[in-house]
Amino acid sequence: MERFELIVIGAGPAGLSAAIEAASCGMSVIVFDENTRPGGQLFKQIHKFFGSKEHKAKERGFNIGKNLLNEAEELGVRVELDSTVMGIFRNKEISVMKNDSVKHFKGNSIVIATGASENMVPFKGWTLPGVIGAGAAQTMMNIHGIKPGNRVLMVGSGNVGLVVGYQLIQAGCILEAIIDAAPRVGGYGVHAAKLARIGVPFYMSHTIKLAQGIDRVEGAIIVEVDKSWKPVSGSEKTLEVDTICIAVGLSPMSQLVRLAGCKTLDDPKKGGIVPLCNEYGETSISGIYAAGDVAGIEEASSAMIQGKIAGAAASKDQGYISEDEFKARQKKLENSLLQLREGMFGHKSTAQVTHTDEGYELSHSLLKKGYISDTELSHYPGIPTEDDLKDGLVPVIECTQNIPCNPCQDACPKGCIKVGDNITNLPSIETSVKCSGCGMCVVSCSGQAIFLVKQNHSPGYGLVSLPYEFSPLPDVGDIGYALDRLGNVVSKAEVISIKKTPVMDETAVLTMKVPSNLTMKARFFKPAMKEEKII
Amino acid sequence: MINAEVIIVGGGVIGSSIAHYLAKNKVDVLVLEKNDIGSGASSRNGGGIRQSARDLREMPLAIHAVKNLWPYLSEELGVDVEYHQKGNLRLAKNNQHLKVLEKIVEHGQSVGLDLKMIDGDQVKELCPFVSHEVIGASYCATDGHGNPMTTTLGFYKRARELGARFITGESVKSLIIKKGKISGVKTLENIYEAPIVIVASGLESRSIANTAGIDLPMQKVMLEALITEDQSPMFSQMIGTAASDFYGHQTEHGSFVFGGMTGLEPFDSQEENAVTRNIAAPSICRAILGYFPFFENVKIIRTWSGFLDEMVDHVPVISKVEEVPGLILACGFSGHGYGISPAVGQLIAQMIVEGQPSISLEAFKYDRFKPRV
Amino acid sequence: MSKIIGRALKKDDFVEMPDDHIIICRCEEITKGEIRRAIYEGMYTMNEIKRYLRVGMGLCQGQTCNKLVKAIVAKELGLDMKDIEIPIPRSPARPIAMKAYADDGYMR
Repeated sequence: MERFELIVIGAGPAGLSAAIEAASCGMSVIVFDENTRPGGQLFKQIHKFFGSKEHKAKERGFNIGKNLLNEAEELGVRVELDSTVMGIFRNKEISVMKNDSVKHFKGNSIVIATGASENMVPFKGWTLPGVIGAGAAQTMMNIHGIKPGNRVLMVGSGNVGLVVGYQLIQAGCILEAIIDAAPRVGGYGVHAAKLARIGVPFYMSHTIKLAQGIDRVEGAIIVEVDKSWKPVSGSEKTLEVDTICIAVGLSPMSQLVRLAGCKTLDDPKKGGIVPLCNEYGETSISGIYAAGDVAGIEEASSAMIQGKIAGAAASKDQGYISEDEFKARQKKLENSLLQLREGMFGHKSTAQVTHTDEGYELSHSLLKKGYISDTELSHYPGIPTEDDLKDGLVPVIECTQNIPCNPCQDACPKGCIKVGDNITNLPSIETSVKCSGCGMCVVSCSGQAIFLVKQNHSPGYGLVSLPYEFSPLPDVGDIGYALDRLGNVVSKAEVISIKKTPVMDETAVLTMKVPSNLTMKARFFKPAMKEEKII
Repeated sequence: MINAEVIIVGGGVIGSSIAHYLAKNKVDVLVLEKNDIGSGASSRNGGGIRQSARDLREMPLAIHAVKNLWPYLSEELGVDVEYHQKGNLRLAKNNQHLKVLEKIVEHGQSVGLDLKMIDGDQVKELCPFVSHEVIGASYCATDGHGNPMTTTLGFYKRARELGARFITGESVKSLIIKKGKISGVKTLENIYEAPIVIVASGLESRSIANTAGIDLPMQKVMLEALITEDQSPMFSQMIGTAASDFYGHQTEHGSFVFGGMTGLEPFDSQEENAVTRNIAAPSICRAILGYFPFFENVKIIRTWSGFLDEMVDHVPVISKVEEVPGLILACGFSGHGYGISPAVGQLIAQMIVEGQPSISLEAFKYDRFKPRV
Repeated sequence: MSKIIGRALKKDDFVEMPDDHIIICRCEEITKGEIRRAIYEGMYTMNEIKRYLRVGMGLCQGQTCNKLVKAIVAKELGLDMKDIEIPIPRSPARPIAMKAYADDGYMR
């Protein structure tokens, strides 16, 4: 039986990070993953991450995965793919199935980083083909290049629902609606706004009543729910969809933790059954650690830090780093983790937040409909005043919730954007500094919430620069439509410039010409259909 | 303080069966179970309902159960116990195996059991899926199998409907003796009183009986089992081997349940909890494939393990304890209690209600174990 | 340690609900109504429901339906979700062909 100093189960962000940390301390490490590709969910995450530089903010998930894997391999970590861990047995033995045989391995320490699985919501017809998990839809699109359907209903407005909803549109699907039984959008407002401005309707306080169809989904009936989650009769709406995507949360994949005999608890805030862990992620069984979603549902960014802490702790246990060295590493990582857990979406916040930390009232319209209404917009520190707008080119930062994220601050070469030390602060703009119009802030914002606006470009017309991530890219000179924040056509628009360089990492900055009075309304460019005449 | 006429310690298949037959006779019975109903060996066994290859002492109970109780049990309980009487095949691959089986057959025939030796071709006829290496088998046409989980829960459900009371999560720690007689039991938090206490707690019976000064030569042995994905109906016999390396059958659901050992028991199975070992399932799979190559690509869905309460002579204790009036023991079933569970329940109920069971239980006395002279 | 639960019979008759036909365990195709009835018949724990109905015994081993069944048990018995234990998971974590399992290096 082969024996390693550390066995890591799961080559996702948490597992790879644990392996890297331990290997960098000198341990012999093996990582098992049942998938053909390493990286866990990172490899299907094509969106840019939030956080700060140390959290790999504004990098796309799959690139983070690639880098982690390279780092692990350079450090001599053995990564075994297509290898399913069947169980964890006494004396830290595991059985691994690979190809057509089983091998037994023993570890001095084990890090369990098995991630999460998708929750389902039962309704009439939920077992029909065409009802799929949002994560499954993401796998189909981003790993296998398959469109999950044509007309899709997204059930759940958390970040998974919003992000996957956006990717469905990028893949060419029509997102008919996003619904959620909760009265307000669960995920980041900036993710919701990306969908609303393309015209996706948000139905909060709505649940799915049934999926229509005999052999597969042919439609969905949604219904409003009252404050006690009871359906309101007569409020049914029929949606013509062929696919229903379920994004109602994740559950930790705690089977191996429980098989190993670790003590667990059911913690609704962590998504379900999780191992009882100390501050380093060590379970009730000495030498067995849990990191990432399996220890409580969070983001990949925090999973990476948790993995590092576990890897460092195992290194300390086995004498590769001193107690002091460990404490120093752990403290730094802990601070980084705490930053991510700050803000209105952090797992510490329980109450229904009504105001930002700075005291700004949250946009009701954003929470209810997915976009910030015109009247609410001017409240926030990233929005220029009427006077600012008269001065020429200005950034408009429609970031109105305390999210742990600050790349915009470093993006502006002129220092025009300020977030401050606390990375959940709302960004504010310094209008005394002249904006050069480079667009780096626009592409740096993982929430695509930064725009450049020039009210007076030519008589009666202004310019709006926006992040654009759809293909094909329009050409300069193309005429299309300008859409407002809720996806309504407000005017025709002409593409004035398209900027896309390698450093922008696939996000283009599209500048369109719209009537001056619409520069603070128009937020998306919709290309005209082929042969379509725009009047 | 809760009073009942009879307290049963243990809500497994034996305890629930006794509760059912007592409740059916209008006896006020209270069952105390430490975990869930049927959480011990009762829901972790292979489901065999056989008479063949049993100790002669158990034979009358097994024959009675198969003849008079099992065929009517689903109807009586209102729960499908999935009883199928399609025979038991004990397979042999070599002459040594045949010799083992001949002894078993001789043994069974001596008490009139319909048990015989058949050759390789006859085995193939009954069960076409066996390997060509199989050269013969013992065959008992009246043996069969059932679903131990629905049987246990069926006894529980029906007993409950008939007025038996069950409390789960109650861990009995000791027996209470007052004025020379049993007066009840003590759990972690409570005292329950009854003039009769039946200990049917499997492996834990020993420590409970110890609190009344009674010891039993019993040890713990871990057995493991596995279940496959469902298959279309293939064969309905209960399968065993002369080498005793695995056993199993196809369930009504279509999946196969197989059990077996690694050969390292009981020395490799002294953990506190019944947790599977990484070497056990592969070992059982090898044994199965040795007789049924067909299963090569059939997938295992789940494995589990359970402790047997094994008596030194592999025969249970089903006995009044005369020196502690009111105490009855029903334990030590040594891995083959499921098949006789309805008979045990019925006979103990008779013992209590009528003073005498209709089949003698003398051979199962608690004090039968004597040292070598 | 398990919680102490008395198993007294319910006084009222079993009441059917309009959504009883919805499938909860999709591997074994078991409906909400079947689960509710099992609880009514005395199956008060997740393990008992599993053994009685095969809920969670299918290919996914309950990863999908455990939460759903738990919610039904909580509602029917008036318990807090977190006080309800789910069945212990069993090895193998994924279905595995017998041939592969048999070949674990201990073969001659």
